[in-house]
Amino acid sequence: MTRLTSKVCIVGDFAVGKTSVVERFVSNHFSGKYLSTVGVKIDTKEIEQAAAGVSHKLVIWDVAGSDSFGDREFAYLRGASGYIFVADGTRALTIGAVETIQSQIGEKFGAAPSVLLVNKRDLVAEWEVSDERFEALSASFNGAFKTSAKTGDDVEDAFARLAQLIVENELRGK
Amino acid sequence: MNDLDQLKQLLFGAEKQTLDQISDRVERREVRTADVAEVLSEAIDRSYREDSELVESLTQPVGECLQRAFRDDPETYGDALYPVMGPAIRKSIMHALRNFSQQINEAVEHSVSPQGLKWRWQASRAGIPFGEYVLQKTMRYRVEQAYLISRENGLLVGHVHHEASKIKDSDAVSAMFTAIQDFVKESFSPDRTGRLESADMGDFTLWAVHGPHALLVCVIRGVPPKSLRADLSAVLERIHFRYGEAIRQYKGDTATVPEVEVELERCLRFEAREESKKSGGAVPIWMVVLLLLLLAAAAFFGYRSWAYSQQLAKFDDALRAAPGIHVTAVERDGPDITVRGLRDPLAASIDDVAASLDIPMARVSADMQPFQSLQPEIIAARAAELFSKPDTVQLNVVETTLVVNGTAPSAWKDQLQAGFKTLAGVNALDLSGLTEEVIAEPMSVPMPDTRQLLLDRLTVLNQRRFFFDKGVQFVAGDEDALAQYVVQVRELQADAEKASFSVSVTLTGSTDGIGDTARNAVVAEQRAVAALERLAAAGVTARLSALPGGPTVTGDRREDFSRRFVQVDLELQELPATR
Repeated sequence: MTRLTSKVCIVGDFAVGKTSVVERFVSNHFSGKYLSTVGVKIDTKEIEQAAAGVSHKLVIWDVAGSDSFGDREFAYLRGASGYIFVADGTRALTIGAVETIQSQIGEKFGAAPSVLLVNKRDLVAEWEVSDERFEALSASFNGAFKTSAKTGDDVEDAFARLAQLIVENELRGK
Repeated sequence: MNDLDQLKQLLFGAEKQTLDQISDRVERREVRTADVAEVLSEAIDRSYREDSELVESLTQPVGECLQRAFRDDPETYGDALYPVMGPAIRKSIMHALRNFSQQINEAVEHSVSPQGLKWRWQASRAGIPFGEYVLQKTMRYRVEQAYLISRENGLLVGHVHHEASKIKDSDAVSAMFTAIQDFVKESFSPDRTGRLESADMGDFTLWAVHGPHALLVCVIRGVPPKSLRADLSAVLERIHFRYGEAIRQYKGDTATVPEVEVELERCLRFEAREESKKSGGAVPIWMVVLLLLLLAAAAFFGYRSWAYSQQLAKFDDALRAAPGIHVTAVERDGPDITVRGLRDPLAASIDDVAASLDIPMARVSADMQPFQSLQPEIIAARAAELFSKPDTVQLNVVETTLVVNGTAPSAWKDQLQAGFKTLAGVNALDLSGLTEEVIAEPMSVPMPDTRQLLLDRLTVLNQRRFFFDKGVQFVAGDEDALAQYVVQVRELQADAEKASFSVSVTLTGSTDGIGDTARNAVVAEQRAVAALERLAAAGVTARLSALPGGPTVTGDRREDFSRRFVQVDLELQELPATR
């Protein structure tokens, strides 16, 4: 089985649940306490992609939340093999921030596999993103998922999808 | 062609052709080269075998050739030599390390220096092997880990470490170091050209060496010399030479950088710590003197303790061997000894046993409960006391038979026969060794002296003692013995009365020295009264002595069962004539 290590950056606006999503994926754990990330936080998780014959280690860079990136944030993103964009389904404005960041990254580093996580789907009563909007977003990214870090819904699938996209991209590169 | 030439042709035609060919070969360079090439290897071989001139001749030009070749094309020759040099260097380093480690072990293992003892103590507290601790302390530095990190994306290209080093998630470490690097560059370098090159963390120093495509980060224990950075740079340059393009395009597939760890392992070097002049390895003289004094004191006290232990062991053995003493425990409290167990009142005292072994009596205290021993020696002693054995008689107990040897009056023999069954542990009497004392009586006195016979019987029964435990409680067996004794006294009194004599019975109590003197006198009198009551119950008239409490005990205030008794004194008196 081929061993592959990839840098994955997780980006989005403040308090959309980026760190919680990573914690759910890496440790299968959720904490309701909000702790703002300063700078960047690194986690790793190894997943088996049996179909591709790859043991894939994701080095996840959890970049501090921002509605638009400066030089420091871009420095963290350099060389990433894929991106996870996270927006808050209960705050439609955060989707706009994600689109801005996606555009900036595209200009600076070029295209790379990416998925969008519209998080906090467990807060149904406060949900602000219409299905039409969500479908439109899916087309802009390589996939979009309505996730909940609290319940774990679709978090694993989103990361698995990105890992698959990265492997396909690498194979195309070869 | 003139005539002369024609003549030459005719005379030397063949030879001239040969000469022309030779001339041609000598003059034409390519032909000469071919000729030399044809014999060159054979010529070198022969020359080398015949003498050493060829080697001497070639040494300098060949050396210069190699120097020029290496200078002009170092990479090619470096690559060619790499397979040989890598193992050779590693072998050399390992050999040096082994020697070094062995020297340290020998120096420290056999050292009694304070430093060695201190390290041993600290290593045990830290929970790491002593050898590892010594290595840490005797190294000036050691590269514990080396990370090769892609500058483009922070991914880990390769990682090596010493076996003893604790390793966390090396990919996360690599990414985090890159993030910190980026953070520092963006935050503190206005033109973004600054680089994080070192960081200190407790015992460790982090050194980062920057290359065009990769970053070499080394975790170093101790204080590295500046020259190490040049060495690490050389390693990184070599890695770039071999893997530069692969690292530039590195996307996490380690197969694209095969055997990069082999190159990284070159970083794992270390160097011995220089000995400080102060330590010098010599132990200060005052410490030697102090150590010797301590050793002498330890030896002295150790010997004393050992000798005393030996003495106590002999004491223990003597107690256990003494007839009539049963030891249940010998307790030591420092130099003081307490003996606990059972002791027959006729047995040797604990103090006597201690004194016989030169053990200070003040160190010995006894907590002995009285009992009646059935050991042969004690039974024989009891018989001797009970029957007032004459000096001419020897008593021995064999199994349950009292064996009597020697010479004794027939009255004593009669007394013994009558009373031997009162002795606990004796069922039979062997008088085969006893000779009756023949008293030559004048023929004019045909009748035996009744008074003397009574006196003889009285002598046997006189001054008999019966022992007490505490208060007026008789020792087990003595109450029964008293009952039997009373029967004998009553018989004696009856016989005496028939011969116009009376036997007076006087009782005197006794105690040991424990407790208040006045109280002891009361207890002694109570003992006498207790015996008096039993005599009276059996019909024997008795009286208490003028001093029923016995003599006042002074001085020795220790517990002594042999002095807790009531003594019966008998006196034969002639009855006044009533007619």
